[in-house]
Amino acid sequence: MNFRLFALILMMASMAGAQSPGNRQPSVILAPVGNVQLHAGGSANMELDFRIGEDFHINSNKPKADYLIPTILKLNPSEPVVLADVKYPPGEEMSFAFSPNEKLSVYTGDFAINTEWKAPANAAPGTYPVKGELRFQACDRSACYPPRSIPVQFQVTVVKK
Amino acid sequence: MKRNAIVFVMLTVVIIGMLAVGSYLDRARKHGPAKLVGDVHNAAAPDFELPSLDGRKVKLSDFRGQAVLLNFWATWCSPCKIEMPWFVELQKQYAKDGLVVLGVAMDDTESSKIAEFASDLGVNYPVLLGTDQVSDDYGDVRALPTTFYIDRNGTIVAKAVGLLGRQEIEEDVRKALSTRSKPAKGQPSRSAAVVKTPTEETQ
Repeated sequence: MNFRLFALILMMASMAGAQSPGNRQPSVILAPVGNVQLHAGGSANMELDFRIGEDFHINSNKPKADYLIPTILKLNPSEPVVLADVKYPPGEEMSFAFSPNEKLSVYTGDFAINTEWKAPANAAPGTYPVKGELRFQACDRSACYPPRSIPVQFQVTVVKK
Repeated sequence: MKRNAIVFVMLTVVIIGMLAVGSYLDRARKHGPAKLVGDVHNAAAPDFELPSLDGRKVKLSDFRGQAVLLNFWATWCSPCKIEMPWFVELQKQYAKDGLVVLGVAMDDTESSKIAEFASDLGVNYPVLLGTDQVSDDYGDVRALPTTFYIDRNGTIVAKAVGLLGRQEIEEDVRKALSTRSKPAKGQPSRSAAVVKTPTEETQ
């Protein structure tokens, strides 16, 4: 058999295997995050961009039922930096083949979470690390996967007023 | 002399190897394999003992002689919610033929919430509280629902990952029920119930 044809068949077979539920694991990745810069006594916004693996969806921050696990961003800034607000995007209302009569509130593809940062007027100039995680629970068209967390880390720089 | 020593060492290695294989086979015969890997069809279902929602300890081997539908699920799994009422119906329909449905909840939450969820869906079969160990033993169950169909002799005859249609589920149930149970040593044989198709039953 022609080697290239054989390699193509092998690749297609492995992709077919990877498509079946259970053989794939859901992925959510965070786009590279720049530094947040703000003045002492001021505030700044920072958008965190996430991408969900193809064919997967995750629950939005406000899923439609109590039993569903919401997507939650937890961030722990270092003092004196303060996380003033977190704004989640609204979920997309979608029905799936496993439950055509039920609409779920989900994120698919790319989504962004907006955060607002503040530093008190007496904050010392410097760079402060922020560590945290995004917790989510993903499903595909026929199966769901246990909740997972991915790390979220960046720095907030406070400069003189 | 040197030749004798080599023969002695080789014989020792062979005997130790045979003892190890014998011990493994004996364990597998009694308890099922330690862990499922790769294709699970015709593999012995690993035995387990798990607490049920009503506080009992349930062992898979307690159901030897009956066909078992072993369903891994979780409250956060929407597709699981679709098929659980089908399991309720199948349990009712095939209980007389020797079907036992066992749900294994893989939630990391209080059992009262699992019980409430199961009750809302009208679950009429035992729900057990899953552990990482049982997930690992069954080949690292991650995608839910995952269902194993185990025949009367404790052999896995089918595995389904993800939500399937009711008809496919019923076909796997019938496959699990269709095997005759082998008598255990020193025990009388339990005869397998003949599974009739709905059409046969109406004739």
